[in-house]
Amino acid sequence: MLELFRRFQYLLNRRRRDRELAGDIDFHREMAARAGRPNIGRALQLREESRDAWGWTWLDRLAQDLRYALRVMARSPGFTATAVLVLAIGIGVNVAAFSLFDMFALKPLPVPNADRLVRLERRSLDQYTSEMAYPSFLFYREHSRTLSAAMAVLGVPPMQIEDDLQGAKASFATANYFTELGTHAAYGRLLDPHLDDASSAPPVVILSYSFWQRRFAGDPSAVGRTIRLNKKPVTIAGVTAYDFASLGGQGPEIWLPIAQQPYFVEGSHILTDFNSSSVRMWGRLAPGISAESAAQELRLLTDELRRQHPSAVWDREFIEVSPGGHLQVMKPEMYRIAAMIGILTLLILAVACGNLGALLLARAVQRSREIGIRAAIGASRARIFRQLFTESLLLAAFGAIAGLILGCVVIRIALTVFDTPKWLSAVPDVRVLAFASIVALLSAIFFGFTPALQLARQGKHKTTARQVLVGAQVAGSCILLIVSGLLVRAAHHALYTDPGFGYERLVSIDPQLGQHGYSAAQARNYLDQMQTRLQATPGVRSVSLVLLPPLGHTVSNSTTEIDGRTVIIYPNWVTPGFFDTMQIPIRLGRTFERGEKNVVIVSESFARVQWPNQNPLGKLLGDSAHKNTVIGVAGDAHVNALNDDDAVEQYWPADDTQLPGMVLMVRTAGVLKNLPKLAKTMSESIDPELFPEIRTIKALYSENIQGIERVAGIITFIGLIALTLSSIGVVGLMSFTVIQKTKEIAIRLALGAKPASVLQALVAQFTWPAIIGLIAGTALAASTSGVLRRALYGISNLDPLSYALAIAFLLAILALAAIVPARGALRINVSRALHYE
Amino acid sequence: MPNGQIPKRGMPPGVLPMLILRVLQSEPLHGYAIAQRIHLLSSEVLAVEEGLLYPTLQKLLLKGLVSAKSGISETNRQVRFYELTRKGREQLKTELSDYDRVTEAIQDVLRTA
Repeated sequence: MLELFRRFQYLLNRRRRDRELAGDIDFHREMAARAGRPNIGRALQLREESRDAWGWTWLDRLAQDLRYALRVMARSPGFTATAVLVLAIGIGVNVAAFSLFDMFALKPLPVPNADRLVRLERRSLDQYTSEMAYPSFLFYREHSRTLSAAMAVLGVPPMQIEDDLQGAKASFATANYFTELGTHAAYGRLLDPHLDDASSAPPVVILSYSFWQRRFAGDPSAVGRTIRLNKKPVTIAGVTAYDFASLGGQGPEIWLPIAQQPYFVEGSHILTDFNSSSVRMWGRLAPGISAESAAQELRLLTDELRRQHPSAVWDREFIEVSPGGHLQVMKPEMYRIAAMIGILTLLILAVACGNLGALLLARAVQRSREIGIRAAIGASRARIFRQLFTESLLLAAFGAIAGLILGCVVIRIALTVFDTPKWLSAVPDVRVLAFASIVALLSAIFFGFTPALQLARQGKHKTTARQVLVGAQVAGSCILLIVSGLLVRAAHHALYTDPGFGYERLVSIDPQLGQHGYSAAQARNYLDQMQTRLQATPGVRSVSLVLLPPLGHTVSNSTTEIDGRTVIIYPNWVTPGFFDTMQIPIRLGRTFERGEKNVVIVSESFARVQWPNQNPLGKLLGDSAHKNTVIGVAGDAHVNALNDDDAVEQYWPADDTQLPGMVLMVRTAGVLKNLPKLAKTMSESIDPELFPEIRTIKALYSENIQGIERVAGIITFIGLIALTLSSIGVVGLMSFTVIQKTKEIAIRLALGAKPASVLQALVAQFTWPAIIGLIAGTALAASTSGVLRRALYGISNLDPLSYALAIAFLLAILALAAIVPARGALRINVSRALHYE
Repeated sequence: MPNGQIPKRGMPPGVLPMLILRVLQSEPLHGYAIAQRIHLLSSEVLAVEEGLLYPTLQKLLLKGLVSAKSGISETNRQVRFYELTRKGREQLKTELSDYDRVTEAIQDVLRTA
C-alpha cells in the first residue's frame, strides 16, 4: 500500500526525481573518471533503466504513442473521418440496442430498494398465468413472512368518465401500491392504506399526470372535484407525479382502490372468488431474504392454500418469483429475442470492423516506409506493434464517442415518438458507458490487431488477410440482408394475406357479464336479447358468441406433445354460428348443433398433426372419462395466435356455465359506423349497469400489424447500413488492389492483353472469398433464423424468395463495387505508369 | 526492467540489495561511495555494476527500505545520500539471518557430501 503511494509520489514529482537521479549518476561518472575508469556506460540509458524501477515507463510510452497517433490521424483527415464514421455507425447501433435492453431489463425503477421488488406469478409444469385470484393474493399476503409487503393490480376495461365517448384506461390497485413505491402526488394525495383499504371508505380516484393534463387541462382545482365514473360518483383525490414509475411499466389513466371495485362493478365477485385469476401480484422481499427463500415459503403456502381451496390451485402449482424492479419483467423468451437482436447488431459491428481492418491494411502499404525507418533506428517489433495498436485504440475511442452520441440521439427520438414513462431518459448510464468502452476495445482488437501485426512484422502484404476480410464482410451482410428480407416479407404477408378469418367488418362486443355477477340464466337472457336485436338490425349479417374473441385481453393455450413434437393448442368455446360469423370455412364435416355435447371441431393443422393421412371425422379426443367425437374440421384460423403459424385450434361447444364470460361477435354486410352506438343503447336498455367494450377487429388487427411493420422497417434500415458498409469496404479494397498493381496492369496492357481479361484477373482474387462468404452467410442465416418463426406471421424462416432476393441484391452491389474501381484501372496511362519509379 | 546484466566477478544474483543495506548500516552514503565500499570491503572481489546499482537503489527507495537526503559531495555537487530506514534495518536483519542459514546449509552439504 505504502509502496503504491510512493510510486504515485514518484509519478507526481517525476521531473525532480529525474533531476536527482541525473545528479547521482553524473557524480558517479565524475568520480569513476577520477579513479581512472572514464566509461561507465551511457548515462542516458542508465537513467532510463533506473527510472524503469519506478514503474511508470508504460505511461510515458503511452503518452508518446498517443501524441504520435494524433499526429498521424491529423495528417490524413479523410481516412480518419471515414474510419470514425464507419465505427460510429457500428458502435452506435449497438449502443442504441443495449440502451434499450438496459432500459427494459437492467435499469432499476427509481423507487426505494427496487432490487427487492418481485413479480409473483402462478406456474405449474404445463400451465402459466400472469394473474391470480384476489383471495389467493390476500392469503399469500397474510401468511408470508418473507415478503414485507404485497401489492396487487387489477386491470379492467376502459371506464366511462362523465359522458365521454372514449373510456379511460383504469386499474384497481391495493391501497399500499403508491406508499410501497415511495412516490408522492403532484397534487392532492395518492392512495393511502389508512384511508382507502376499506370498501366502506368514500370512493376516490387518482388521475395519472398525463390524463389529468389531457382531460382536465392540468387544472389543480380538479382535485377534490366529484366526477361520475361508470355513472358512479367518485372524488378525485390526487394526481400522480409527472415521472411516476409504475410496476411493470403499466400506465393506466386512472387508479382506483381495489377495495372499491364492487362499488364500480356491481355484483362482481372478483374480490372473493378463488377461481377467477384477475390481479397481478407484486411483492417486496423482507430485508435479508433472497428470492429463492421467498419462493420456498410461497411453495409451502401454495400447498396450504390447496388444502383449504382445492379448486383454486393447479396440480403441482408453484409461485414463480422473478425480479420486478425494472421496467419490464423479463421472461426467458424475451431474453431470446434480446439475444437475437444483439447478435444482429454485433454482426453490423463485425462488418464495420472488417471494413476498417481492410482500410488499415490498405494504408499499411503507404506506411511501410515509415515503419521501416522506425525499425531501422532501433524500434523493436513489440514497440512498433504497440504504437500501431495505440492508433487503433484511439480510433476506436473516437468511434465510441461518436457512436455513443449517435445511439443516444436515436434513443432520444424513440422516447419522444413512443409514449414511454417519463422517468426514462436517453442519457447513458454507467452500464451503457461500460458497454460502449468494451465494444470499442473489442472492435479495436478486431480491426486493428491483424494490420498492426502485419505491419510490425514488415512482412509481405499478403492478399490472404484481405480475402478473409472480404469473405467475413460478405457473410455478415448476407445474414443481415436475409433476416431483413424475411421480416419485410413477413410484414407483407401479415398485411396482405388472410389470417384465416375475415377480420374486416367484424365487431366484438364484450359485456363482461361475469364481472357484474351475472348467473348463467341471467347471462343467457341478456345474450339472447342482444343477439335477437342485433340480428334484426339492418346491415348485420351474422351474430354469434365466443369465449376468447380475436385480439382479446385473454389468451389461453395448452402445450402437448404429439409424436415427439411440441404442439401449442389454442382451445376456444363457441356457439354454432361462430364459423359463419368469423368466415372460417368448414373443410370437413359440420358445425355444432344447438345444445350438442361431447363433440369437438379441430383445425386442419391439428388434424394433420394428430391423425396424418387419416380421416379425422369420428375420431375421439380427450381424456378417458369424457371422450369427445370430432365432428368437423375447420380451416386454420389463428384467432388467438396471429403471430404463431405453428398454432393449432380446437373449438368446443360453449356450455351454460361459460355464458357469463361470452363475447358477442357481429359481422356486418357493409361498414356500419353507428353499430357501436346502437349496441351500447341496446345493452343499456337491457341492463344500464353494463358498459360493454365494443371493438372493431380490423382496427385492432392493423394496430397489431403496425408493430411488425415498424420492426421490419428498422431491420431493413440496419440491413442497408450493413450493405453500405460492406460495399464501401469492397470498393476500398478494389481501389487499393488497383493502385498496388498499376505496374502489372500497365505491362499487361502494353503487351496487348485484352481489357476484359485484365479486369477478370483483378476481380478474380475476390471472387472466391465473396462466394464462400455468401455460402457461409446463407447457411448461418438458415440455421439460426428458426428463432424468428414466431415473429414471421406464417412465413417460413427458409422462405426461398427472401433468400433469393437478398443474395441477388448483395451480388449486384458487390459486382458494382468491384467492377467500378477496376474499370478505372483500364484507363491508366500505360507509358506514365511504366515510367513511374 | 534491466535484464541480461550478469554481475562480474561472481556476485550471486539477489545479493546486491542486501550488501547495499549492510554498507548503509553504519552511515548514510551516496551511490558512488556505496559501490566503492562494497568493492573495498570484499577485498576487491566484488564489483558493483552501475547499471545494476542505480535501478536497485530506486527499488529500495520505493520499498521504503532506504531514504535519500540531498547533500553536497566532495566535488561540490548536489547528490543524494542514502540512509537506512527502520524498515530497512529490520529487512537487513531478516535477510542476514536467512542468508546465514542458507550458507550454513550449503556449507554442511559441501563438507559432508
